[in-house]
Amino acid sequence: MNQLKFLWGLCLACALMVTPLSQWQPTTQTAVDTLAVQLDGRKKPLDTVARETVATIHGSGQYQLTSGEVLDAPQTYWSLWLNSRDWNDEPFILVNYRPLKTQLGLPLEQKYFSFSTLINSELGGILQKAHTQQLQEQPLTRDEREAFTLEDRLNLMLDTVGSQTLPLVPYPSDIKGAWVGIAEAQQLYPPEIAARIQTEFERLNQQYQENGDDLGRLQDTTAMLQKSLADLSPEIYPDSATLQREVFFNYFHPFGKAWQLYAIAFLTLLTSQLIPTLNLYWSGMGLFLGGILVQIFGFILRMQIAGRPPVTNMYESVVWVGFGIAALAFCFELQTRARSYLLAAAPLAVVCLLLADSLPAVLDPSIEPLVPVLQDNFWLSIHVPTITLSYASFALAMGLGHLALVQYWRQPQGGSTATILSRLNTRVIQVGILLLTAGIILGGIWAHFSWGRFWGWDPKETWALIALLCYLAPVHGRLAGWLGQFGMNVASVLAFNAVLMAWYGVNFVLGTGLHSYGFGTGGSELLIASIVGLDTFFVLATILRHRSRHDASVPVPDVQTVDA
Amino acid sequence: MLAKFIRFLGSIKLAVPVLGAIASILIWATFYESKVGSLVVQQQIYKSPWFGALMFLLAVNLGVSTLSRYPWRGPRKVGFALAHLGLIVLIAGSAAVIHLGVEGLLLVRTDQPANHLVRVEGELLEVMDDQGQVQQATVMVAPDYVISPKQFAGLTLLDYDENSVETVEYREGGAQDNSAVRLVLSSDRMDRTFDQWLSPAAETVDLGPAQLELRLAANETALQQLLADPTQKQTHQSGNLLIRVGDRETTIAIEDLRRHDAIINDIQVHLLSVWPDFRLDDHNQPITASQDWRNPALEVSVTQADHQERWFVFAQAEPILAGNESLLDLNWEYQVPPPPATDYFRVVVANQQLYYAARSSKSFSSGPLAMDQMVQPGWADFQITLADWLPHAEVVRNRLPAPPGVEGVPALQIVSTNGHQQWLTWGKSALITDGSYSMMAAFGPRMMALPFGIGLDDFIVERNEGSESVAMWTSQIWIEDLQGEATQQRSVWMNHPTWYQGWKIAQASWNPGDLNQSTLQVKREPLWVTALTWSGALLTVLGIGVMFYGPTLLKKRAAVPEKLTEPIASDPAPMPLATQDR
Repeated sequence: MNQLKFLWGLCLACALMVTPLSQWQPTTQTAVDTLAVQLDGRKKPLDTVARETVATIHGSGQYQLTSGEVLDAPQTYWSLWLNSRDWNDEPFILVNYRPLKTQLGLPLEQKYFSFSTLINSELGGILQKAHTQQLQEQPLTRDEREAFTLEDRLNLMLDTVGSQTLPLVPYPSDIKGAWVGIAEAQQLYPPEIAARIQTEFERLNQQYQENGDDLGRLQDTTAMLQKSLADLSPEIYPDSATLQREVFFNYFHPFGKAWQLYAIAFLTLLTSQLIPTLNLYWSGMGLFLGGILVQIFGFILRMQIAGRPPVTNMYESVVWVGFGIAALAFCFELQTRARSYLLAAAPLAVVCLLLADSLPAVLDPSIEPLVPVLQDNFWLSIHVPTITLSYASFALAMGLGHLALVQYWRQPQGGSTATILSRLNTRVIQVGILLLTAGIILGGIWAHFSWGRFWGWDPKETWALIALLCYLAPVHGRLAGWLGQFGMNVASVLAFNAVLMAWYGVNFVLGTGLHSYGFGTGGSELLIASIVGLDTFFVLATILRHRSRHDASVPVPDVQTVDA
Repeated sequence: MLAKFIRFLGSIKLAVPVLGAIASILIWATFYESKVGSLVVQQQIYKSPWFGALMFLLAVNLGVSTLSRYPWRGPRKVGFALAHLGLIVLIAGSAAVIHLGVEGLLLVRTDQPANHLVRVEGELLEVMDDQGQVQQATVMVAPDYVISPKQFAGLTLLDYDENSVETVEYREGGAQDNSAVRLVLSSDRMDRTFDQWLSPAAETVDLGPAQLELRLAANETALQQLLADPTQKQTHQSGNLLIRVGDRETTIAIEDLRRHDAIINDIQVHLLSVWPDFRLDDHNQPITASQDWRNPALEVSVTQADHQERWFVFAQAEPILAGNESLLDLNWEYQVPPPPATDYFRVVVANQQLYYAARSSKSFSSGPLAMDQMVQPGWADFQITLADWLPHAEVVRNRLPAPPGVEGVPALQIVSTNGHQQWLTWGKSALITDGSYSMMAAFGPRMMALPFGIGLDDFIVERNEGSESVAMWTSQIWIEDLQGEATQQRSVWMNHPTWYQGWKIAQASWNPGDLNQSTLQVKREPLWVTALTWSGALLTVLGIGVMFYGPTLLKKRAAVPEKLTEPIASDPAPMPLATQDR
C-alpha cells in the first residue's frame, strides 16, 4: 500500500513536470531558438543568448513594455536585436542600488530606467572617476563597482540593439575560429555566398518587422537561414541535437521545477504530520523524490551542455547545495522513517533553488568557459562537490536544529520529539564532518598539484578549517559532558554561520585569496546579515527560555547517561 | 600528580578550549589578512612560533588521548585512533610543508638564455662593515610595515615604503659655502606655477626647450663670461680629434689642425675638409647643410712613408676609410661639445651676490638678482622669481609616498645605533656614515640559484573561441644543466606542472603586455613531507569513516536479515570517553 502511495506521489510529480501550466509551459524548440551564436567563448543557441542578455540588462526573464504588453526574454531580445522599438526611451535597464540612484539624481522607488535617462545622467562623471581609480590600482568603493555593473549593462544594450555583428556566420575551418556577423560574412566567404546569406537575413528581418512579436511565424524563414549557415561549414556548425538540448534545458527549467516540487512535497508532508489520518506521508515522499530526480536530470543536461562537472561557480554551488540537502535528507528519511528530515530539508532546498532562480544579477546562471586554474575536470568533479555536499549536510543539520529548537521553545524541558530530532541532527553533523574533512583534504591534494603546496592558509582553506573546528568543538564538548542535546542543536544552528562564511563570506565579505575565481559582484550582505542576526536572536531567546525553565525544574540527569 | 597532568594533556577538557582558541585565532586572522595582506599574516601568525606551539599542543593532546585509550578494541576505538593519529601526522606534514618547502618565481623569456635565479619571498639586506665583513638577512616587508627582523647588524629597521620617491630640500645651516636657490616659474597663459631648487649638486635642470642653471664664478672674468650674451661670442665648436696609433692617444684641436698638420710617430695627419652639418647631396657628394654644428664630419689624409689613406671621421658615426683595407693601426674619435641650449636662465653666484643671465631665442638680459625679483626670460609669458637663497645650504633628503600616477621605488628606512636615520632604496647600495664609523648597506631582491637553468622556447596563450578571455597558458621550456648541456624539452600549463630533479616547475603568471615572457613557480619539497601529509590525510578520513560508520556496518553484518532499518533509538552513542576525563 505504501509503495502504491509512493508511486502515486512520484507519478504526480512527473505529471506536474510536464503539465503545461502557465510559466511551466515548455514550448517547441524551433530554429528561432536554436540559431547558433558564438559568444563569450562558446557556441550556444540564440535562445540562451536572449535569456542571458535580458537577464543581465533587465535582471528578470520578462519585460513589461510602457504600453503594458509583456514580452518574454526571446521576444524582448529579438525586438532589441532587430531594433523594432524605441529602445532609447523604454525603461528597460535595471538600476537597483539605491545610493547610486541618489548620486545620479534618479527617483529611488523606480527600478528600471531608459538608456537615454542614464546616458544624460551624472553616470559619465562617476565612471570616469572610477576608471581613473582603477587605472591607479586604487581600491574601488561599492558605489564605483555598482557604476561599473551599470556601465556593463549599458554597453550590452549598445552591443545588442540593432546589432549587425552578432556572430552567426560560422568559421569555415578552425573549430575555435572566430565567427562573424551576417553583415561581415564576406570576411570568411566569397561575396556571392555572403550576399545570399545577407538576403536571407534581410527577408527574416522584414518578416519580423511585419509580424511583430509573434516569433512562431518566423519559423520557416529562420530555418532556411539556419540551414544556409550550417551548410557553410557543416563540420563546425553545432548539430541540431546539441542546440535543441540547450534550448530544452532553458525551457524546461529543471531547477525551477525542482523547488516547486519540493514545496508541494513539503506541504504534503506537513499535512501528513498535522492530520495523520490522511496518511499522506508516502505520497509526499514520492513527490520529494520527483524533485530530486528533476534536479538530477537538470544536472545531467547542464553537464552535457557545459562539458564539465556540475559545480564551478557560486550559482551552481547554491543549486548543488540545495540538491545535496534534499538528497541527503531523503536517504536518511528512507533509512530511519523519522518523518522529520524532509520537513527540515524541503524549505532549505526551496530557499537555495529560489535564490538561484531569482537573483541572476548576484548568482549568474550563464554557462561560461572555465578560468585556466579550474581546467581540471578530475579534481573539479571531486573536491568541489564533496565540500559543497558537506555544506549541504550542515545546512540540513541547521534545519533539524531549528525544528528541535522550536520543540524546545514549545516544551523547554525537551520531549520525545526534541530528543529524536537531536539524535537525527547528530547523525547529519557526522556526515558533514566526514565530507568536509574529505573535501578539505582533497582540496589540499589538488592544491599540491596546482599551487605546489598541500596547505597554505589561503582564506578559503582557512575558513573551511574554521567551519570544521566549529563543529568539532561542540562534538567534543558533548563528549566532555559540557553540551547536552539542547546544546548540540544550538551549536548546529550557530556553527552554520561559519559554513556561510566559508561558502559565501570569503568570496564576498573578505574578497581576498587564491580562490578568487569564485568571486562575484557581491551584494545582499545586509539581507544575509539581518537574517543571520534574527536567527541568532531566536536562538538566544530559546536558550534563555530553556535555561529559565531548566533551572526551575528538577535537575536533569547527565547528558552522558542519556546518550549512553 | 604527573599522571593527573598527563591525563589532562590527553583530555577533551583541554581539546575543546584548544580547538576553540585555534578557531577564534583563525577567524581573527582572516579578517586581519583582508586588511594587511597575506604576507604579514603568514609571518605574524601562521609561521609564528606561538601559533606553532598551539598546533603542537593540539598534536600532543591528540597523541596522549589516543595512546591513553590503548588497546583500541572495536571499530569506534580503531576509527578514533586512526583519525587522531592521522591528524597528528597531518599537522606535522602541513607544518613541514610551510617551513621546509623552498619556493620561488622564475622569470623566463623567449629572447633570453636560460635563467637559474629564482626570486624568493622576502627581500635581502646586506651590510658590510668597515672591516669588510658582510652580513646578510632576509627582510620581510609589507606596505608601510617591516615585519621582520626589527634589528640587524646594529641597524634598526624602522619603516618600509613600497612606492616612494626621494624628495630633496634645502635648509640653511651647512658649514661651507654652498649656495642653493629656489626659483618660482609661473605662466598665466598656461595657468602653471611651479618651483625648482638649484644647487651645486643639481646645477642644471632641463625643462625641455630651456634649462635652469646655477653657476659659481670664482672671479670677475668668469662672472663676465657667464653673464655674456652667447650670440656675441664666437665659440670654437669644431671640437677635437682623438687619434689612437697603436697604444698612443693624441688629441688635437680641429682649429690647430686647420693651421698645420699633426705628426704622430711617423704618421702625418692632414685635414682636407670640415663639414659642420654633414649631408650627401643628390650626386652623393658631401656638403654641409648649415653652419650649425649639428652633424660635424672631417676628411683627413694620413701619410706614412709612401703609404697614404683617406678617412671620413664623424662625430656621430663610425669613421669610414675611403678605399680598401687600412694598413695602419689607427683609431679615430671626433669629439664635438654639444651645442649650448638656446634658451636658459642662469643664476651666477659671485662674491656672495647673485646675478642672472636669461636667454631666449629672441632676447638676452642679465644683471644682479635680488630676492623676489621677477625676470621675464622671454619664454612665452613665463616669469621667474627668486624665492629663496640659502648661501650655506644643507641638503635634506626625504622619502615620501609616490603621488598617484608617479612610479616610485620601494625603500627601507633604517636607524643606526647613534640615531642616524636613512632610507635605503630598493636595488641600490648606500653608504651609512654615523659619526666615526661607516658601513655599506644594500637592500634588494632575495634570489636563490637553481642547480639547473630554465629557458623559454615559446609561450602559448590559448583563448576561448571567438573571445579574448584566456583558456590556458602554456610555457614550452627547456631545462639545461649549468654548463648549458643536457637539454630537455618540457611543457607546463595550469594544473600540469613538470618535475625535474625533485623540483616542481609550474605555470604561475604571465604578462598580458609581453607574450615573450612567462613566470614559473619553482618549488621543492622533501618527498617525506609529501608522503607525511598524504598518509596523514588518508588516515584521518579513514578514521572518521570507521569511527562514525564502523559500528553500524558491523552491527548490520551481524544482525538478522529481518531487521532492515535501524530504529532511531539505537543511534550509536558517542564513545564514553568522558568518564576518563573526570
